[in-house]
Amino acid sequence: MIPELKYIRPKSVDEALNFLESFNGKAKFIAGGTDIIPGFQQQSKRFSDIKVLIDTKSIKELNKIETAQDSLIIGAACTFSEIQNNKQVSEYFPLLTKATSTVGSLQIRNLATITGNFVNNAPCADSVPPLLVYNAKIEIQSKKKTKEIALEDFLIAPYKNQLEPYEIVTKIIIPKPSSKIRGDFYKLGRRRGVAISRITLAVLVETDKEIIRDIRIAGGAVTPIGKRFHELEKFVKNKTISNELLKEMAIELGNQILKDTGLRWSTAYKLPVVQQKLYHMLTELCMKS
Amino acid sequence: MQYKFNIVGKNVIRQDGLEKVTGQAKFADDINVSNQLYGVMVRVPVAHAEIKSIDYSKIQHHPAIETICDSNDITGNKKIGPIKKDQPVFAYDKIRTPGDVVYMLVGESENDLLKLKNKVKIDYEELPILSDPRKSLNSDAPLIHSQFEDNLIVHYPLRKGDVDKGFQECEHTLEQTYTTPHIEHAYIEPEAVIAIPKEGNKGIHIIGSIQNPFTTRNVVAAVLNFPLAKIRIEQAELGGSFGGKDDTMNVLSTRAAIAAIKTGRPVKIRYTREDSILESYKRHPYIMNYKVGYNKDGKIKAMKVDILADGGAYASMSPFVTWRSVVQATGPYEIENVWTDVRAVYTNNPYTGAMRGFGSPQIIFAQESLIDEIAHKLGMNPIKMREINGYKLGSYTASGQKLQNHDVNLLKVLHTAKEKTQFVEKWNKFKNEAKENPVKEFTNKDVILNTVDFIEPNREWKKGIGLALSFRGCSLGAEGIDAVSAYLSLQSDGSAYLLSGLAENGQGLRTTFSIITAEVLGIGVDNIYYLELDTAHIGDSGPTVASRSTLMGGGAVKNASDILKSRLTDVFVKHFNLSENSNIIFENQQVYIKDSLKTEISFKELCSLAYAAGTNMGVMGWYAGPDVGWDEETGQGDAYFTYVYGCQVAEVKVNQVTGEVIVEKITAVHDPGKVINTLGALGQVYGGVTQGAGYGLWEAVSNHESKIRELNFDQYLIPTSKDIDEIEPIFIEGEDDFGAWGAKSLGEPTLELTAAAIANAIRNATGKRFFNLPINLEEVLLKRKLHPEDLKRGSA
Repeated sequence: MIPELKYIRPKSVDEALNFLESFNGKAKFIAGGTDIIPGFQQQSKRFSDIKVLIDTKSIKELNKIETAQDSLIIGAACTFSEIQNNKQVSEYFPLLTKATSTVGSLQIRNLATITGNFVNNAPCADSVPPLLVYNAKIEIQSKKKTKEIALEDFLIAPYKNQLEPYEIVTKIIIPKPSSKIRGDFYKLGRRRGVAISRITLAVLVETDKEIIRDIRIAGGAVTPIGKRFHELEKFVKNKTISNELLKEMAIELGNQILKDTGLRWSTAYKLPVVQQKLYHMLTELCMKS
Repeated sequence: MQYKFNIVGKNVIRQDGLEKVTGQAKFADDINVSNQLYGVMVRVPVAHAEIKSIDYSKIQHHPAIETICDSNDITGNKKIGPIKKDQPVFAYDKIRTPGDVVYMLVGESENDLLKLKNKVKIDYEELPILSDPRKSLNSDAPLIHSQFEDNLIVHYPLRKGDVDKGFQECEHTLEQTYTTPHIEHAYIEPEAVIAIPKEGNKGIHIIGSIQNPFTTRNVVAAVLNFPLAKIRIEQAELGGSFGGKDDTMNVLSTRAAIAAIKTGRPVKIRYTREDSILESYKRHPYIMNYKVGYNKDGKIKAMKVDILADGGAYASMSPFVTWRSVVQATGPYEIENVWTDVRAVYTNNPYTGAMRGFGSPQIIFAQESLIDEIAHKLGMNPIKMREINGYKLGSYTASGQKLQNHDVNLLKVLHTAKEKTQFVEKWNKFKNEAKENPVKEFTNKDVILNTVDFIEPNREWKKGIGLALSFRGCSLGAEGIDAVSAYLSLQSDGSAYLLSGLAENGQGLRTTFSIITAEVLGIGVDNIYYLELDTAHIGDSGPTVASRSTLMGGGAVKNASDILKSRLTDVFVKHFNLSENSNIIFENQQVYIKDSLKTEISFKELCSLAYAAGTNMGVMGWYAGPDVGWDEETGQGDAYFTYVYGCQVAEVKVNQVTGEVIVEKITAVHDPGKVINTLGALGQVYGGVTQGAGYGLWEAVSNHESKIRELNFDQYLIPTSKDIDEIEPIFIEGEDDFGAWGAKSLGEPTLELTAAAIANAIRNATGKRFFNLPINLEEVLLKRKLHPEDLKRGSA
């Protein structure tokens, strides 16, 4: 049952922040609503105190995708469809294009925002692994100040993040990677359409004559929240590519996931598969150049 | 009989297409009447408990509540059911499954009622839960219904020949066990109904998402203690049913009617998806043990089948569903010695009932996997194995029925499928590939891989092809009374009203029946206005089930159309002063004598003449099925009066790394008799195959101590349009006598074969046999299902 709510469409970030404060914590931002509305239906405790919804989509400044010198700036109200179809995104951040195009259905992508995706911070959030490997930062505003924080630091635990009570996420800032970097995004669902991820992997790699100069690996739905595997990255940096190394990396990923996640009901299936798939991605990216 | 058709078999636009695609069609929840109230259900979150007392005092006088209805409001039958009267309209003595409703809050605001849902104190004592049907018949099993001696719902034996002797004489035997899960119908429209009390002594009018209005009427009458004619059931546009809007809608209609009579106001009930999945019945899970005796030439000599069906908390349709299983359990194969036992038992699980296929998809999965496995063991291709054993004209079924008086097209569908798909070549090729590069078994039993466990990227996909073959008895067979009524009323301008006693459940019978009338009278389908089904307007034609609409309803509509044609012929003969009525042709809105320009009149003018002459232009057509029979002790008899045959071939690729199965193509060869409504028939195949693939690969309603895990479509996965690639329907049209020009059945055959064909294709691709549906990611890799230990959903 959807409770009776006040619904507000502010015109600016300032107005939105004023509303947020005036309702004393009873107000929450809504973007696409594709988590909040089903959350109401499921009587999720996370949403039970909400009396007011403030729609970020009515704020024009949050609906833009802009290019800066060395980064791309995505407004917090941009939808999956908008990002999926943006040429700048596909040119510099093809993993993000691929990830946004596989989320839910067309109808969901037309409503849902990637900001909502990581603010909600479900373990299976599809946009998180690509944003993590691209070292995305986010801009957060309150009435007092504007700050930037790395997405990786923003995400704390399942459905938990660093957002303070009277703050709003306004932008995603993604630095353009080196032109030599290449990568891929992988998603496994139970079916091909409208599927919740069972496993996601995002991999970026830059090599120089068989030597791994830069590598970034992130996963989703295999750890409590989407995360970068820094230890694994450090382990192989500046090493020479070989079939054995790639297998070693995949096994090491398995070990790290097991350490982070422990044995769960799904481990018997997911863990062998995620190792195999990382090995496949690395093979495609490193052995075919 | 050769017949030149003008409309039959052509592409005809759906009769109800315009209102549906423009969103104007009125589904049950679109219907609102002034002064209406809402009914909200209250359940107890347990699977098995004794109800001690209910204390309404906390909310009884709440302003949002008009009344509270429970079992005490019932004057007639407190329990209902098609055979066993075991399902309470409101639970009063016990909770037998978590879907049970104890009482219903009635008031003007649905939201206010929802807030009060948990305010009533229900005192209950939990009882031991019976979730495993294999334990239902144990002497220490909790008894689900105290009025019965044990938890057995029904037992059908079938005995033919001497099965022990048969096994002794065989060179080989093979024994295997297969299982299938609970399945949700997943109709897109959840249940909704409104009951409107009429003035004075006029009774009650019920409009709802009802699949079988006559059944619903019988149930409501028994509960309200009303004469049948005092109850009018009208069907709203239906958003899918697949057999699912029968018992559930009978119960809901009854609850709405009780509240409407009690308050004197219209009462509406509408379900959320969660309500719907929680309370509605499911497809039966089966545990099937098969033992087959065969010789090295492939000939099957004996088969012993032991089937256990989980009936859940209520008997519902179990006695009918499992009866179809006992008739068809040995598949379309002539076997001398057969010993079959099919039992349905009570548990605390969701109750199970009718669903498209009706006791056939389960057994086809088992028997077609088994036949395939024998072929593998003998090194014989699966086509050959079926040619040797498959039914031919004059074959005897397991129930001793001689197959005759219809096209026994089994081998024809098999051979068509074989040729269309180049089955044997592909099957051999993939089989050899699987042999040369076998699917990798992990060396490490741990979850961390060894370096030798890695599979190279170009090796992950394996291709396979598989087939499944079936015969299916048309219509109800010895299950029940099999007759249908149709009403056709011609107007003076040549337009017509048409109605039959069967229901439009989305399958397209309005169009199919209009085509039949248009063909007979030589008019256009757009001259025919199909009426809403209302039990007050047409004779009880039984339920719209068993793929019987086209066969039985088509027969009735053709009968009505033929009667009117004959009356118009008389008017024509009189008008032109003819001496005889031969060679009169009704075609293209004209009525004429062949090669005679002077004796021609438009259909419209002829209707006008008939009207002026006082001709009776409103007729009731009727079609009743021929006799069938069954011996309950031996399982012998002529179970159905005619049969249809089908063969589906699945071409798949299987990912040995992830367990994904991609259905690349399904070739569906069916013999539905004459195809009347071509677009409708194609739609049946596309839909049925997709549902069948869902059964094979994704769908399962699982439970944790009888509580359902998958209460919405975030967890209950049906295939999307992206999940099946190509479907190629091929129709082998027979020339039978039954129904309208020999048009028989198609709806259910399209679904029943797909899962089995896919399982056999996976076997071909991987060399592995899978025994438990669905063959999902975990099943492919680990040969087991994985479930979370709790019932937590999403982020809640």
